[in-house]
Amino acid sequence: MNDKKLKDMWNKAETLMGASDYESLSIEQFISGRSNDTTQKIRNMIIFDLVLKALALCVLAIDFALYFGNTNIMVVTAAGILLLIPLIFIQRKMLNRFTEAADNGQTTRDKLASMLTYLKTKFFSTLLSVAGTYLFGFIAGSLVYFYATYGYVRNFDGVDVIVFLGFIVIGIVFNFAINQGQTKYHIKHLETCLNDLNDKNLELVTENIELQRKQDRTQKLLLGLVLVIGFVLLIAVLMNV
Amino acid sequence: MKNRVVNKTEFSALIEKHQAIIHKITMVYANGQSNREDLFQEICLQLWRSYSNFRSESKFSTWMYRVALNTAISTIRKTRTDIHFEQLHDNDRIETETSDEKEQVKLLYRAISKLNRIDKAVILLWLEEKSYDEIASILGISKTNVSVKLVRIKHKLEEMIFNLQ
Repeated sequence: MNDKKLKDMWNKAETLMGASDYESLSIEQFISGRSNDTTQKIRNMIIFDLVLKALALCVLAIDFALYFGNTNIMVVTAAGILLLIPLIFIQRKMLNRFTEAADNGQTTRDKLASMLTYLKTKFFSTLLSVAGTYLFGFIAGSLVYFYATYGYVRNFDGVDVIVFLGFIVIGIVFNFAINQGQTKYHIKHLETCLNDLNDKNLELVTENIELQRKQDRTQKLLLGLVLVIGFVLLIAVLMNV
Repeated sequence: MKNRVVNKTEFSALIEKHQAIIHKITMVYANGQSNREDLFQEICLQLWRSYSNFRSESKFSTWMYRVALNTAISTIRKTRTDIHFEQLHDNDRIETETSDEKEQVKLLYRAISKLNRIDKAVILLWLEEKSYDEIASILGISKTNVSVKLVRIKHKLEEMIFNLQ
């Protein structure tokens, strides 16, 4: 079969398809709609987390004012605020990086490579940062609840603290598992496409990913440390230390 | 605020003019009318979102192919992505074609549907009379790679069409 015959068949198909033409009004509705794309879902997750972090920050500031005079709680809320501010900046940076990685205007190779690199290197940090929001959100919310219900921070015994912490840890682990599961499938798809594009592509991208992983190790350690401090603060609040 | 086209209405009119490109891509990457419509909508949305980054360094149609193909390639669907040409609408135009021609077109689409997503993009761009340079710039691979791939894909298509006949 020669090239001309293939192209003739293709051009013939165009007339046979009978695809309905959309008017600009319909197209305008399409571009105002919501995306079902996986990348958009990740982007929405980061944006939602940024909003929650900002909210937790505001509530912690309110807690600081509500418990003014109670040194322990003031220290906890101030520490929460001080840790949340850099977390917001880190997550904002993640959003920018993700937006760049997900840009469809790049070449196919760059799009696949940048998405794969993000998911294999930065996504873990994003999830750590999201876990931080749970913790600080919980601390901020609990303090408001205690103030509204009791006017002070109620004392909890060891079992209560373990139950509370247990629920939070389960929530964090569950969120990690769901997101990692979804991403695993996405990563496999991107790797297949990159490999199909050029056998050497995946090899080159993997080398770059390994390099970035080493560079990002400090950031992951710092985020892990923030989580540990978050847990300590929560225990301090719950046990009214 | 978008660079060149300031509002959605003007952008929609621009897409309306070039919508044939999107239709061709949905024909190759989506199976069934509703999936094709979904992909069409997704591509329009991604075009709008990426438009602020469009620079006039490349032609508008080249940029459109790039965004549309990237969307089609990276969209993960749970359903099978191969084309069932039987599901295409029968319309007045088809009535005027001979059944032999229709059969050949079916065979071509069945064969293309069996290719991987990247090979689909390469052959689609070639069938759309894009130069090797343009194909290479859209996909981000070398011209040599495009030419090697095309030889292999055409051979594969020929074999598949022969086996399907």
